[in-house]
Amino acid sequence: MAIIPKKHFMPVQQPKVRARNFEEVALGYDEKTAVAEAQRCLNCKNMPCVNGCPVNISIPSFINKVKEGKFEEAYNIITQSSSLPAVCGRVCPQETQCESKCTLGIKFEPVAIGRLERFVADYHNKNFKGVVSVPVSNGHKVAVIGSGPSGLTCAGDLAKKGYRVTVFEALHLAGGVLVYGIPEFRLPKDIVKKEVETLKQYGVEIDTNVVIGKTLTIDELFKAGYEAVFIGSGAGLPRFMSIPGESLKGVYSANEFLTRSNLMKAYKQHSDTPVMHAKKVVVVGGGNVAMDAARTALRLGADSVRIVYRRSMEELPARREEVEHAEEEGIIFDILRNPVEILGYRNAENARDPRNGFVTGIKVIKCELGEPDEKGRRRPVEVPGSEYEIEADCVIMAIGTSPNPLIKNTTAGLEVNKRGGIVVDEQSCKTSLPGVYAGGDAVTGAATVILAMGAGKSAAKAIDEYLSSGNS
Amino acid sequence: MNDLIYFAAVEFTDDPNVAGHRYWYACPYEDVEPGDEVLAPLGRHNRLQKGTVRETRFSRDYEAPFPIYIIKYIKDVVKKRQGAAIMYKIIEKKSLNPTVTMMDIYAPLVANKAEPGQFVILRVDEDGERIPLTVAGYNRKAGTVKIIFQVVGATTIKLNNKKEGECLADFCGPLGCATETEGLKKVCIVGGGVGCAIALPVAQKLHELGCEVHSVIGFRSKELVILEKEFADCSERLSVMTDDGSYGQKGVVTQPLKEALESGEKFDRIIAIGPLVMMKFVVAAAKPFGVPVTVSMNPIMIDGTGMCGGCRLTVGGKTKFACVDGPDFDGYEVDFDEAMERSRMYCDFEARAREEACNLFKKEVK
Repeated sequence: MAIIPKKHFMPVQQPKVRARNFEEVALGYDEKTAVAEAQRCLNCKNMPCVNGCPVNISIPSFINKVKEGKFEEAYNIITQSSSLPAVCGRVCPQETQCESKCTLGIKFEPVAIGRLERFVADYHNKNFKGVVSVPVSNGHKVAVIGSGPSGLTCAGDLAKKGYRVTVFEALHLAGGVLVYGIPEFRLPKDIVKKEVETLKQYGVEIDTNVVIGKTLTIDELFKAGYEAVFIGSGAGLPRFMSIPGESLKGVYSANEFLTRSNLMKAYKQHSDTPVMHAKKVVVVGGGNVAMDAARTALRLGADSVRIVYRRSMEELPARREEVEHAEEEGIIFDILRNPVEILGYRNAENARDPRNGFVTGIKVIKCELGEPDEKGRRRPVEVPGSEYEIEADCVIMAIGTSPNPLIKNTTAGLEVNKRGGIVVDEQSCKTSLPGVYAGGDAVTGAATVILAMGAGKSAAKAIDEYLSSGNS
Repeated sequence: MNDLIYFAAVEFTDDPNVAGHRYWYACPYEDVEPGDEVLAPLGRHNRLQKGTVRETRFSRDYEAPFPIYIIKYIKDVVKKRQGAAIMYKIIEKKSLNPTVTMMDIYAPLVANKAEPGQFVILRVDEDGERIPLTVAGYNRKAGTVKIIFQVVGATTIKLNNKKEGECLADFCGPLGCATETEGLKKVCIVGGGVGCAIALPVAQKLHELGCEVHSVIGFRSKELVILEKEFADCSERLSVMTDDGSYGQKGVVTQPLKEALESGEKFDRIIAIGPLVMMKFVVAAAKPFGVPVTVSMNPIMIDGTGMCGGCRLTVGGKTKFACVDGPDFDGYEVDFDEAMERSRMYCDFEARAREEACNLFKKEVK
């Protein structure tokens, strides 16, 4: 059989239409296309894709089941390794992970592993009517801090082994970055809700509105009978550039802008939470968060959205598909530019002018790529005298976060590095305190959903070993 | 059953003074069963405390388990035995003046930790906005947290329309850092308007610690004066100011403060809580005398846990986050002009939302 050189096309909403609504952009494969795409898999012996996956999903076996049309069995294979398949199929950077290792990809386009994963999970969520079998409790209690990707994965894995797990969430809704950060059009919130419901069926309890480090401390969790604690509290305070004008009205951190829109539903007309419906938006940064913010701004009614990024298109850290989607929707990429100042309105004659203090533009300087830095990425070098102004009424800073200090400040003996990330043993996610494990952005700083899930998984394994060996 | 009265015997297991004893109460809630948790007044002062129902019965008044003319009533049911917690219930609601309301909310985890100066984030209902409110008091034994708020915007209108016995969707805290009180011997507390509600627990705590407290509280007019008696109880000296002179002295809070400083009063610190412009002028008044000033900032917030950065302020030339670094800051370092400007970011939106909320409730009244 001849090899089909390209991935099967996944239907998407038309760019012009989707740029004005919050519905999901990519629509997913139907059964026929999924089977056809699965048939592209060579089923090669050494299975390099499995090593490319941070949670080592047994990719060829699930694809084989899809080939045979046994989608429910395929789902069971994926869930042996991943607690959140519908999420990962949508937000993983497959092109740098599993798909980058695909043997087929040497000569042609790799198998669309992500799209197949998404299809299988959606098929299950739509068609599965049974009840999950809840494992017998082994009597051990574990506390998980944070209900983002790492926390949910850790909780799910432990619950399936019979642990009584309680997840403590600071916000009013479970899901962490999956609900406050990633927008509806990329990851519908119903999918997150469904995944959380599945975990609850396994007996995981979720306590919202509990801020560990404030409402309760880690010491108090141990006193309350929890034998191990996993910290998956995620990234913290947004970073700013320390350039003039960052306190002007209309300057948002990406976290704030996205939280207002996603978690607080500010995009809906009758939401109580306000968000600026700006006309000319500039987003600073080149990661997934920057893409999300830019595309959200567009959907909130912006006439123009520009992304200002200091390196070139090749260095953009965002997921390939998101960059493509953003370009199709008409987002302008001002690459090799670095902001030097945010400009605001000031009526010198009238201090009470209501327009005072609102953003009017951003001054940027052109850059060239210089020598590679220690990470191998070419360093941007500013070109003297090349400053110019871009008109804007809203500037969104999406340049990363620094770790949240709440847990560190209230937990004596918890070791952190100089950037504030929790220090852990890479294999086991063990911290400097006995029985305390950590993973996700709280350790690494801003990274991806799947890496956080990988950490949650390793921690669950280590916690299981720790508690079942009788060390507790 | 009309002449039967429902009684419940309650044990206060958390209180070592009375644990093991049962106290009979008249119970207005007929669905209460043994095992339920209730709030009931205890002791001479009738302070509310949380207890567990051990026994219930219906009796006629002459067979009552405790003399009917002195028996107390169970105030509220807070938790059903089945495990479904009825959280964030409004245990008590009181109007302090036409625009300021006080509520006691059942939130035992928050009550257990709250300290003066900290705040909570609450949502009135699903899809509601998250708003920060500073803790105005707490009762650790009853598991309640006191909030005092001014009815100004859409969300506070909604909150004010909740009745005693109803629940809030979310109530999260205590957040932020507590006001530093250690080592202070003589302090001047300056409160403005509803800011007095936040200043009061700080004044009370300092008073308990043996610190000499002088208080200056200011309001627009007589009808808006709140908490005067409470301040009087914990202050060596109290000045009440009104803008229009309809009560107390006419003038702004900085006048008595300046007079005190000029007359040679030596304060270790001034703690100012109120509108931004008031705090700015308190700082200006204190500056010539070099007295440290702590101010409590209340910027726009969303998550309140150090994630969104919406509450950022410039303090000492650096970006600080009120939710984790504050809400208290050194008054000399805060850029008040910028904070005032940022607080008006959503003025238009708020005005519209307020109008909608008002109209909504007008319709309901019909």
